[in-house]
Amino acid sequence: MTVRNAKHATFTIERVYAATPARVFAAWANKDAKAAWAYCHEEWVPSVHTFDFRVGGREHVVTGPAGGTAHIFDAVYYDIVPDQRIVYAYDMHLDRRRISISLATVEFLAAAGGTRLVFTEQGVFLDGYDDVAGREEGTKIGLANLDQQLRQQRAA
Amino acid sequence: MTERSTKHATFTVERSFPAPPSRVFAAYADARSKARWFVGPDDWEKSNLKLDFKVGGRESVSGGPPGGPIHYYNAIYQDIVPDQRIVLTYEMHMDKTRISVSLGTTEFKPAGQGTKLIYTEQAVFLDGHDDAGSREQGTRGLFDNLGAMLEREPAKN
Repeated sequence: MTVRNAKHATFTIERVYAATPARVFAAWANKDAKAAWAYCHEEWVPSVHTFDFRVGGREHVVTGPAGGTAHIFDAVYYDIVPDQRIVYAYDMHLDRRRISISLATVEFLAAAGGTRLVFTEQGVFLDGYDDVAGREEGTKIGLANLDQQLRQQRAA
Repeated sequence: MTERSTKHATFTVERSFPAPPSRVFAAYADARSKARWFVGPDDWEKSNLKLDFKVGGRESVSGGPPGGPIHYYNAIYQDIVPDQRIVLTYEMHMDKTRISVSLGTTEFKPAGQGTKLIYTEQAVFLDGHDDAGSREQGTRGLFDNLGAMLEREPAKN
């Protein structure tokens, strides 16, 4: 029998990007742009990605190592203020096991030289899958990928 | 133009009830039962509570003081472990304004003949509306209602 427990955690990551808030927001609001940076493992190719970016809309991603555990992301968008804010809730499954539910707030703030992005995740990690540090690390990798993408766009 | 801001907060409420976890859980899982305790102050006007208690299912209810703003609660159930745990996300609107989005975890733990309930809310309050203090106070009022109902009817669902 599964031992049930719940561990609550919050973390915040801030990044400054050399692009306008509209550009940074667009990288979250468009399916192809988001798919290019949002995954923390470059070699994982999503087998499914559906994206309905509007309040009440959902995003669904299935990815993971080839032949290994499926990592499944299911989100619902709660609040969208263009170029300024996105609030969404998401859960993660490893294969069929629900490991976490999170509330994520992304704020896009105009700053000298570009955009200050503030990402706040409030999560509940379930039944021993309480690798909060791993979640934060994976999120940082995605946000670093986003920096690379914005730099490449500017150079192009 | 609306000034945009966010405020993140977490609070936890613990209560002990003289009823087993299955009874306390049932007060959440059954729409008629939940409608009896998940309500605002007595003088508020209120809608019928709608509840589709399954993972991915929704819940909604609204109410408010006579002549005042209407408070809308809309939830989505994210995780249900019978008699043990419920995780949901919900948003609150005040009339047409979205004022908060929350992640709520309710844990039901056996304690002697009764239940220890632990509710944890992780929330983001938007654009200066509401605050964690009044949300926690309102939530404690709901658990007062639940406790009174369980005392009146310790065995019934």
